[in-house]
Amino acid sequence: MSSLEKRALLALWSMCPVYCVYFVIQIGLPYLQPTMLERIGCLAVVASIHAMAYVVGLLVIKRHEAGEPLLEDERDRAIDGRATRTAYFVMLTGLIVVGMVMPFNNNGWKLVNSALLFIVLAETVRYALILIGYRSPRLAH
Amino acid sequence: MSNEVKLLRFLAQDMTQAELGKRVGLTRQTIAAIEQGRYSPSLDVAFRIAHVFGKGIDDVFHWQPGGDDRSVD
Repeated sequence: MSSLEKRALLALWSMCPVYCVYFVIQIGLPYLQPTMLERIGCLAVVASIHAMAYVVGLLVIKRHEAGEPLLEDERDRAIDGRATRTAYFVMLTGLIVVGMVMPFNNNGWKLVNSALLFIVLAETVRYALILIGYRSPRLAH
Repeated sequence: MSNEVKLLRFLAQDMTQAELGKRVGLTRQTIAAIEQGRYSPSLDVAFRIAHVFGKGIDDVFHWQPGGDDRSVD
C-alpha cells in the first residue's frame, strides 16, 4: 500500500465516523434546546477527536515508513490530482449552496453545519477517489 | 499497453521492484502497477525504465491500436 493510500484511508477512518456522530447529534439538538456554548463545545470535541485520531495514525504511518527511499511519485500525484479536481467541484457546489442560496432562508448554526457538511463531503469524495484510483486502472490516469 | 518490465527485471539478475523504482524515481508500488498493466507511465519514466535495461522504449513497452485507449501520460 502506497503512502498516499495509507494517508487517505487514515483520513477517511478518522473523519467519517466522528462527523457522522456529530451530524446525527446536530439533527437531534433542536429538540434539546442547546445553548451556544454547548454547540461550540460539541464541535470542539468532535474536531479534537478527529485531529487526535489523525495525528496518532499519521505518527504510526511515519514510523512504518521510516527508511523508505521514495514516498510519492508521478502515479500518486496523478491519482491525487484527479481526486482533488472532483472534490473541488463538490466544494464549489457547497459554496454556492451555503454562501449564496441558504442565507436567504436560514441563518446561524444551520449555515455553520451546512458548510461543515460540504467540507466533510468534499474531503470524503477526495479520499474515497484516491482509494478507488489505486484499485481502478482508469482512474490512475 | 503491455510491457516486458517483469521479464527484463528477471534477466537483469533478478532486479527487485524496489531497486528498479529507486533507479527510475518511482515507488515499488508503481513499478508493480506498471508490470500488471494497471498504470501507464509517463514518456519520461518509460524512457528511464528502458535506459536502465539498456533497451529502446519499443523493446520494453508495446502498444496496439484499439487494444487499450489509455495513453501514456
